[in-house]
Amino acid sequence: MYKYDAIDQTLVDQRVAQFRDQVSRRINGTLAEEEFRPLRLQNGLYHQRHAYMLRVAIPYGLLSAKQLRTLALIADKYDRGYGHFTTRQNIQFNWIELEQTPDILAELAKVEMHAIQTSGNCIRNITSDAFAGVAGDEYIDPRPVCELLRQWSTLHPEFAHLPRKFKFAINGAKVDRTVLLCHDVGIELKKNTKGELVADIYAGGGMGRTPILGSLIKQDVPWQVLPSYLTALLRVYNRFGRRDNLYKARIKILVKALGPEEFARQVEGEWAHIQNTDDNFTQAEWDRVAKHFTKPAYKTLSALTTEQLIASTPESEKAAFARWLERNVKSHQVAGYASVILSLKPHGTVAPGDATVAQMNAIADLSDQYSFGELRVTHEQNLVLADVEQSKLLELWQAAKQQHVALPNIGLLTDIIACPGGDFCSLANAKSLPIAKAIQERFDNLDYLFDLGDISLNISGCINSCGHHHVGNIGVLGVDKDGEEWYQITLGGEQGNDAAIGKVIGPSFYADEIPDVVTNIINTYVEHRADDESFIDAYRRIGVTPFKEASYKNAKKKVKAEDLNENAASQS
Amino acid sequence: MNQQIISFPKDSGPSLVANEWQVWNGEQDEGAPFISNELAHGLNKVLVPFHWWITHHKNADIIERANKGEIGVWFASDDDILKHADMIEAGKALWPVVAAHFPIFRDGRSFSTAALLRQRFHWQKEVRAIGDVLIDQLLQGARVGFDAFELRPDQDLQVGLKQFNLFSVTTQNSWRGKRSLLEA
Repeated sequence: MYKYDAIDQTLVDQRVAQFRDQVSRRINGTLAEEEFRPLRLQNGLYHQRHAYMLRVAIPYGLLSAKQLRTLALIADKYDRGYGHFTTRQNIQFNWIELEQTPDILAELAKVEMHAIQTSGNCIRNITSDAFAGVAGDEYIDPRPVCELLRQWSTLHPEFAHLPRKFKFAINGAKVDRTVLLCHDVGIELKKNTKGELVADIYAGGGMGRTPILGSLIKQDVPWQVLPSYLTALLRVYNRFGRRDNLYKARIKILVKALGPEEFARQVEGEWAHIQNTDDNFTQAEWDRVAKHFTKPAYKTLSALTTEQLIASTPESEKAAFARWLERNVKSHQVAGYASVILSLKPHGTVAPGDATVAQMNAIADLSDQYSFGELRVTHEQNLVLADVEQSKLLELWQAAKQQHVALPNIGLLTDIIACPGGDFCSLANAKSLPIAKAIQERFDNLDYLFDLGDISLNISGCINSCGHHHVGNIGVLGVDKDGEEWYQITLGGEQGNDAAIGKVIGPSFYADEIPDVVTNIINTYVEHRADDESFIDAYRRIGVTPFKEASYKNAKKKVKAEDLNENAASQS
Repeated sequence: MNQQIISFPKDSGPSLVANEWQVWNGEQDEGAPFISNELAHGLNKVLVPFHWWITHHKNADIIERANKGEIGVWFASDDDILKHADMIEAGKALWPVVAAHFPIFRDGRSFSTAALLRQRFHWQKEVRAIGDVLIDQLLQGARVGFDAFELRPDQDLQVGLKQFNLFSVTTQNSWRGKRSLLEA
């Protein structure tokens, strides 16, 4: 993985010093909270319900064993013994003291990590495919472009105070695992007919109050000119994005208002003036970065079939191991290797995406032992050991079980994406974690989950959509009505190549109704599915009506006028 | 107005200098000859709103003042300077200083205005940041194209002066210089 050079290291060290000074001015009162707020947000520091939360970047999801041990150390020394991995390849610590944040950032800088631009109205941490460089369906390894753009966007002066936050995702695989179309800018890498690396640019995607899928605004942008093209794009947004209304400030609103063609035309007009400047990347810069993303020292191995893998397993464990292989182990570019997903979604015992200090340390050891000392963080809030010898899978599975990260539920109903919700977040209207827990407890039957197959269920505690409920096959959104927590259900959302925004099925429910509602939705699917049709395919075939009827059949509350209003508003 | 500004020319270090330019908000315009009520203290140099310049630049009294080098313009954060390229090109010969305004420190539009003035219009003279200009914006401002800063009056200018050398490296080009590269 990428190693900082002297420039990168100097920059993060000096950023720590800058923030230390800002914190001290805040503490001595010369910097007002209102003016400190954007500064701390640009360093990932939120003020939450109980304490400060620090969000640390894991750029494009890559993490070394050493870095994970430092995250464990921070959780142990400065927090309450755990960290929360997020949907955008960050980790959050929920119980931070303001005074200690400079020291935490200094600890991070020692292992080439930072919290730069993990929040605030600026270019955020760049996300990519957790299986970059190893995925069987990859056209282009996106990591060199990710790293080049990470550097380009870091402390970019012109775009430090955009109208609103700005998120990049970069994909280079056939199957999109980055939720590309729900990003402010999605960069799809490919080779052109001459074999050159180029990018298709999608703009104006986003979730939140107005979920919109991004539009293709430019094709075949050579990788070298991404800095000037993105400068043009961001400049148009910085100048003309709305600043009068927080909820209409994202680029998606500008792209929608202008229309994608007109937006693209304006970007093109700006780009025409700057496309040949030396802002663009050079081959030397590519070489400097790309040399870090060469393949690790793979052995020459022969591929093993599932039968071969299972053959050496004790009889009593064969079925369980086979399940884990099916759900948690993914194919690899190199014969004899596989990628393993460690599930951070135990049924009902901890919040989705949480890992304890002991788990982080143990997983770091596993990565050293089985995967060249590297890990990845997925959009679904799980961890990946990307380069595991197939012949070691059984051993790894047994070790992972000891750490309670071997549940074979990847991609299943209980692999829930959830934000921290009202338990921690001061933006949330409702809690998400108890809902996730109740659903996981209700569906704590692996045979049944297996039979149901791929279903995504995503929970957000408010319309900011950090739990990505809009793209869950089943989405749960916390809403506030008269000070009470309610939950709205959406169906039909999907991430990936067939990305879709879920549709609200109707009035919202009380928290304690949600497990029954999900059960009714699932039963409807089981009743209607043809052969091994997936949930989303069945939904697309039969439509929302049967699911909707089932959802409300034992609803406790009668539909109130306000529910109808709320429903109408949310679909407008 | 602030008695002092931070001046940070592209090719030298930052320092405090006397503020010679008064920013006029365009209100209380009493017609020709142009003397704003606010132009007290013996100051005769004034930054007028760009939109006001558009409608008044042909007035004889304005031409006279401008020819003496006593008028510059300031751009509001929502002025689309690219729509008035001809006027800005003509202004190059007249205005000793232009400014871009921050209605609130977290409104970054004027960063792009400054960048365009330098990149597109090749503006060589001073570009001043005015309005809600705070210590922690100085470094960003200096990199996009500003070389003078009239800070909000409550800001500590001495702390401000220290902001410009916090970083010895950068990872993208800016008006002040190219990104850092390691020696080959």
